[in-house]
Amino acid sequence: MVSTPLKPSNHPLADIIDRLESGGALLPDSPDNVIEVVGILKSYGIVLDAYWRNLIYISEHQFLELFPFFKYFNGDVSTHKLLKHWWHDRYNYEFAEYCMKAMFWHGGGRLDTYLDSPEFLDLVQAATSAKLKNNLPIKGLSKVFPNFLPEQVRQSCYYSALGQFWKIMSKMFLDLSDFYDAGKIQSIPDVVAFIQAALVAAANEPITYAVKIGDRSYDIIPKSAGLAFLMDTGVPYIDAVFFRSFPFMGTVSYNAQARQISSDQERFNYGVLHADPLPVGGAGIPPTLLMQDLRHDLPPYLHELYQRSLRGEEDLRVRICVSFQKSMFCVTTAAMLGLMPHSAETTNIQEQQANRKYLEGWMDRLIDSRLSNLQVCEV
Amino acid sequence: MLSALIWIPVLGALIIAVLPPTIEASRIRQVALMFGSIALALTIALATQFDALSIGMQFQENIPWLDSLGLTYRLGVDGLSFPLLALSNFLTLVAIYCTDITVQRPKFYYALILVLNMGVTGAFLAQNLLLFFLFYELELIPLYLLIGIWGGAKRGYAATKFLIYTAFSGVLILAAFLGLTWLGGSNSFEFDPLLSQTLPLTAQIVLLGAILIGFGIKVPLFPLHTWLPDAHVEASTPISVLLAGVLLKLGTYGLIRFGLQLFPEAWAVLSPWLATWAVVSVLFGAFTAIAQTDMKKMVAYSSIAHMGYILLAAAAATPLSLLGTVFQMVSHGLISAMLFALVGVVYKKTGTRDITVLQGLLNPERGLPIIGSLMVVGVMASAGIPGMVGFISEFLIFRGSFPVFPVQTLLSMVGTGLTAVYFLLLVNRTFFGRLPDQFANLPQVPWSERAPGFVLAVLIVILGLQPGWVVRWTETTTTAMLTDFPTIAAKVLKSPSPPKILANEQLVIHN
Repeated sequence: MVSTPLKPSNHPLADIIDRLESGGALLPDSPDNVIEVVGILKSYGIVLDAYWRNLIYISEHQFLELFPFFKYFNGDVSTHKLLKHWWHDRYNYEFAEYCMKAMFWHGGGRLDTYLDSPEFLDLVQAATSAKLKNNLPIKGLSKVFPNFLPEQVRQSCYYSALGQFWKIMSKMFLDLSDFYDAGKIQSIPDVVAFIQAALVAAANEPITYAVKIGDRSYDIIPKSAGLAFLMDTGVPYIDAVFFRSFPFMGTVSYNAQARQISSDQERFNYGVLHADPLPVGGAGIPPTLLMQDLRHDLPPYLHELYQRSLRGEEDLRVRICVSFQKSMFCVTTAAMLGLMPHSAETTNIQEQQANRKYLEGWMDRLIDSRLSNLQVCEV
Repeated sequence: MLSALIWIPVLGALIIAVLPPTIEASRIRQVALMFGSIALALTIALATQFDALSIGMQFQENIPWLDSLGLTYRLGVDGLSFPLLALSNFLTLVAIYCTDITVQRPKFYYALILVLNMGVTGAFLAQNLLLFFLFYELELIPLYLLIGIWGGAKRGYAATKFLIYTAFSGVLILAAFLGLTWLGGSNSFEFDPLLSQTLPLTAQIVLLGAILIGFGIKVPLFPLHTWLPDAHVEASTPISVLLAGVLLKLGTYGLIRFGLQLFPEAWAVLSPWLATWAVVSVLFGAFTAIAQTDMKKMVAYSSIAHMGYILLAAAAATPLSLLGTVFQMVSHGLISAMLFALVGVVYKKTGTRDITVLQGLLNPERGLPIIGSLMVVGVMASAGIPGMVGFISEFLIFRGSFPVFPVQTLLSMVGTGLTAVYFLLLVNRTFFGRLPDQFANLPQVPWSERAPGFVLAVLIVILGLQPGWVVRWTETTTTAMLTDFPTIAAKVLKSPSPPKILANEQLVIHN
């Protein structure tokens, strides 16, 4: 049988679709792009390590603490740490919380479904009763607003789920950096292949959550809920943080009453892949918070690349943001290819067409993102 | 002492001229900076000796030159010329510092700036009308060359236009000077004897008319201004700094020194017309500035408006308003120099001054945030925000002029409101918003390029908070200038109102 080659796509991002179909990535392959992506992911791995530890700490040790004043201290409160905190010599854990809240708000995946199930509500009842058995004001509040405590516990679940997701991602990015240092990563497709393999390998890692109250451990997300890393945290995370995010955290003021914000959450596009690297004019989770954290742990080879720019140290955060977006497009590529309905190497024309349709669906979502900017210029 | 201020820049120019051709441009710049600094240091030394309470000319020097022509080398400085002298020497230093290190033909360039400084200094110090005229004409040559050689694409046109206009201005001024001596039957061009000379009112008005048009071109006043926007647009940044900061002041200085002081009776007759002319100039400059899209043109038209305030205050001729004229000269010199220096940096980094193209330059990491912040300070000062020199000068002018010309003063105050309009347009369009991708990779601005703006901003704020540091040099002179003026005005106008108001004004001042 003679196979008819697939016609070129008519999509506005057809060039990128062609590149993906021929084994490339959303981000063009170049030596500088490899340095930027691997270097920034190394720094991101270190930062994520701090973030996930804090998220897990909050979920386990600040459970139903209504005034968690010291939630960023991971249980180690001292005058020295307090002074460092006030001096802002610390990670911006707020960024992690914004990401958690974006996931919580947008929902998606089986985690979202599970958190509305009767099984979950039963477990919440057990845990909250144990936690608040002597706390009459909160019990009274709970009687008046019966959804209050379950909603607080749902938020704790997202703290934990994101913490677990980032724990795996953090190790993955640090491993990637080690591979690069060992000379095993040479190109952007190598980066994508590494991330894709790691995502697939961790895809079925279970997502569970339990809190210890007194001497007893209370399950909130038991293993029997069947939640797994890739589909129940990874995909909702990409959707909520990479694409949608919030319209109201940036420097541009949106007026919801004037319908400047779509009433359809599906059409939100304030995520990382859309974020403006220049500090004015963006919306969504403030990228500057993460940029400030990433600059602490830049590998020397990346720092040297940045210093060769026209502005040297002055625009470090902008350069970091651009590199970060590049790296996130690589993660998106890996997730995209990992979830593709058929193998990218398939020669079956129908499978190729199905893959094409699938990629065009992704490209529709990426059409207004910063992807085009990263194809042709620095910013 | 005063001669040193004139001849030190000349010595500097000569030394630069004989430096070996292979010498680096930075070395030539250092030599020019050194001579500029010496001149400024001498001015500061002069300040320590200057008696602010003395009415007459100080540090006088008199060397006979061409007695048959009435030309003598007679110098002196008083409270009117001293602040301008200091401003001139300071801004010359700023202009030399602002000059691009890669400037073409550096020896010729720096030598011309020093010669220009010499011409301006001489004009401020000259106490002989012919000597003033010589210096006044002398500064045209270096300025013509500085615009014509180191200017923009249409530099030839702009330089020639400038030369024709200001040469014509010189002709009118010379004609007035000659007329003054011939009609008075004198053979001397000495300033002091001419002060006490009395001419028929008609002759005074004719001569004052020539002076007004002559110096009106230099100021410039509407409709004699058309050379200025072209000259500014084509001139390089340091030359714009000098042009706005110093050269225009020769015009306003001339109006007061040789108009108001030499022809007080005619001045009193024409003063309502002068105040109206000032209003037209102010409003024309302000409205035209609103319509501009080139940052330099906007600042240039703003200069026309702000120089109009000086004519208004001079026309009112109250002690307070005259004090305001000197303050406004200093204030405008500092503010316009700062604005042109900052626009120069913006142009150097972005390659354009078009406010319809520029945007978002306050961006903290990729834009020009410090230059933008300084620009905001500059436009606030220009719009007369309290706490800066612009407020003090405009307050003095409006407060001093209102009792004499209330309508004209109120109309001129509209100009101040319009200053806020056009400069807010400039700042809003150019510095706010999202930095376009085409300007997202601007080169760094080193601190050396920010320094002139910083120094000028500091002076603008300090003198805005401590106006007495300028006023103390001038107050005695400007008050003394008007000792006889109310009497003269009353005699000429035969109207009770202005003298009465003036008398009240003086009471207020003296109380």
